[in-house]
Amino acid sequence: MITILDYGLGNIGSLKNMFKRIRQNVNITSSPCQIIKSTKIVIPGVGSFDEAMNRINNIKGLKEALNLKALHHKIPILGVCLGMQLLTHKSEEGTLDGFKWIPGETKRFPKSSKFKIPHMGWNEVSSRNLKSKLIKNINHDDRYYFVHSYYVKVHNEDHSLLKTKHNIEFDSAINKDNLYGVQFHPEKSHKYGMKILKNFSEISC
Amino acid sequence: MLRKRIIPILSIQNDSLVKTINFKKINYIGDPCNTVRIFNELEVDELVICDIRASLDKSEPNFKLLQDISSECFMPLVYGGGIKSLDQAKKIFDLGFEKIIINSFCFTVHNILSKIASSYGSQALLCSIDVKKNFFGKKLVYSHSGTHNTNHTPLFWAKEVEKRGAGEILLTSIDREGTWKGFDFDLSSYIAKNTSIPVIGHGGASSINDINEILSKTDLSGVALGSMVLYQKKGMGVLINFPNKRLLSQY
Amino acid sequence: MIKYQLEKHYLKTAKKRVKVCSRCIYDERVPQIYFDAEGVCNYCKLIERLSEQYGTNTKLGEENLKNIINAVKLNGKSKKYDCIVGVSGGTDSSYLLYLCKKWNLRVLAVHYDNTWNSSIASENMRKVLQSLDIDLYTLVVDNKEADDIFKSFFLSGVPEIDASTDLGFTETLYRAASKYNIKYVFEGHSFLTEGITPLGKNYFDGKYISSIHNKFGTQKMITYPLMTFWRFLWWTCVKRIKRIRPFWYVCEDKEVMRKFLEKKFDWQYYGGHHLENRITSFFHSVYSPQKFNADLRNNTLSANVRNGNMKRLDAWREYNSDPFIEEELVSYFKKRLCISDKEYEEIMNSKPKFWYNYPTYKKKFELLRPIFWIFVKANLVPESFYIKYCFPNKNQK
Repeated sequence: MITILDYGLGNIGSLKNMFKRIRQNVNITSSPCQIIKSTKIVIPGVGSFDEAMNRINNIKGLKEALNLKALHHKIPILGVCLGMQLLTHKSEEGTLDGFKWIPGETKRFPKSSKFKIPHMGWNEVSSRNLKSKLIKNINHDDRYYFVHSYYVKVHNEDHSLLKTKHNIEFDSAINKDNLYGVQFHPEKSHKYGMKILKNFSEISC
Repeated sequence: MLRKRIIPILSIQNDSLVKTINFKKINYIGDPCNTVRIFNELEVDELVICDIRASLDKSEPNFKLLQDISSECFMPLVYGGGIKSLDQAKKIFDLGFEKIIINSFCFTVHNILSKIASSYGSQALLCSIDVKKNFFGKKLVYSHSGTHNTNHTPLFWAKEVEKRGAGEILLTSIDREGTWKGFDFDLSSYIAKNTSIPVIGHGGASSINDINEILSKTDLSGVALGSMVLYQKKGMGVLINFPNKRLLSQY
Repeated sequence: MIKYQLEKHYLKTAKKRVKVCSRCIYDERVPQIYFDAEGVCNYCKLIERLSEQYGTNTKLGEENLKNIINAVKLNGKSKKYDCIVGVSGGTDSSYLLYLCKKWNLRVLAVHYDNTWNSSIASENMRKVLQSLDIDLYTLVVDNKEADDIFKSFFLSGVPEIDASTDLGFTETLYRAASKYNIKYVFEGHSFLTEGITPLGKNYFDGKYISSIHNKFGTQKMITYPLMTFWRFLWWTCVKRIKRIRPFWYVCEDKEVMRKFLEKKFDWQYYGGHHLENRITSFFHSVYSPQKFNADLRNNTLSANVRNGNMKRLDAWREYNSDPFIEEELVSYFKKRLCISDKEYEEIMNSKPKFWYNYPTYKKKFELLRPIFWIFVKANLVPESFYIKYCFPNKNQK
């Protein structure tokens, strides 16, 4: 059973649809009690950093429950798009702290006449760590759908899983122990995204 | 490398899929859900769904239909038509749509673009700019399905909506739409060059050549296709299709 | 007569042993079947008779077809198209397009879109038409109307849930022919590769469709191309549009056709006869086997056995295995027609009804049998229609 965190921002419907297509049961919740009971969590996110952290901070006990699961119980957790950015320390988009689970920052793409912001569309990735269970069977020409104005830069290169280029090179997927993040939207990336979510569902709890 | 996008655009009226010419002359195409399902199976980059009567009829988006459509797709979905409140926008995002399009209500609902952008981010917000030549041949922006002349020039309005928070522009040439006469190259090129947010060109595509040419020679981030993906060829029967990716150049 | 052990686990009333034709795999449950002294069924005999009559795959057949093609060309002079080919994206119609081009005929492809096409169907049509540079005419029925008619049939409890597509297709062919002043409609049916659907099964006519729709439908029928009896007479007697089935004269093996299409056009097979359209797929794979204990795969399988393409035992085994069902087909069906899970189960388990429980043109067809025989001789109506529709049905109550 995969728990999808519902804090009011994110493509929950689409994630649910894709998990259903790969025959995975999902539980959609914002309740700290249910989070405590979960064995695998997906943190979605579409919108702004502070808005997301505000909503999470305002649900009593939620942040504590998530910290417990991530850092102590160490269950597999996947942040998607804004969800991945929340795993870092902070973002140039706002003033609030992120979860601080993976050392790194979220920064704004530099302004450029050639490379438009937001980074929006289908792009490729280059792999840093083929052994990782999340990306074990991806091909070099697999493509994913991105839509974001801010990007993640991890402090420790060992935590960078996939890289993508849009004017600058940024981390399109990150991983530290049980914590994973993908900047793109797997639930919107056809069969390529389906592979990623399937891999996540197969990671042992 | 970020690819330029090729996006089918589907028009809905009364729960049916239709196609217009110059925003008039409505032709029936088929069932929205089944058509979307076919595009999903064809693995298109992105899909735009527009309700062409909602702003004129002042009606709400058909959330049930949008839910059915969303459950058929594993690629980005964009919806436009009748959105005038944050609440409605939220409902549509919750259904699984990536982005929403605001057009007519930009002009009448105060601050709608900035409200949605600050809650959901600019990347989730498209502004649709429909352009038509007026009586004197000057290209101006029209709202309400091409019925109301706003008297703004396309460049002025493009810069204005960018300022107000739009993350992307869908630029439609009403004069070319449904005619198979080719894109309005000058308009698309001019606007794409002078805005810093992505611009998607729409209206008049007749062949893969048209697509290759405009994407390689302008700063457009993509094109939207109507007649080309709905009919077998100009003047012939309905046949849902999508250009062969192997024939499209890499941009 | 060979007797086989019946293994179908999903049939509700499974018998232990059934009598099966010694030549094909039609068994005693097929309506109006009977066996001769050697155990050969009447359907095999019928195919034999038709083959001889049409000279299928003999010099006679080739000659007959050649004459027809010449007549078509002559008639097509000074017109934009010589003939119409009805297309669906399936094997037969796709291959027929190729043959017509080979015969130097200027074709107009015609498609009736019931709004339930799969992407395979659309893609197959696109690829073949583009490669052969053939124009396409489509009639798309309003999706809400189409769904209303399908739902009426489902609610009525009769098996022919897809009757409106079959009849709508034929009416569309006539309308396109009339619009472009074309006198010849080519259909891809082959009695050799598909067999003849057993008498009394899958009955449909315009009155049957409107009776069911009047009783169970809620939307007005406006865009649906209904073929009433008078419309049918108009097309045949006034417009004199002829229906030709080239595969009755010259017929290639289905596997050979498929492989050719795959190689030449990158055409894709969709897993079974008529499964390129979702409502037809629902009918063949789910509705007919589960509610009516009727699995129509025996038509094509028997044909394969008769043609020597398949061993009888292999065909029987395949017939007794589960049909291929596209993923999420049933949930799509329920969603499209706004049928709840509960309602679906109720209807699937309710007592079946049949065409003779509703008003149809059947009696009229039977009374006008001599006229229809003339139509057959003039190629205005296929002989299979005459055989199935113009004789009293023994199963009729």
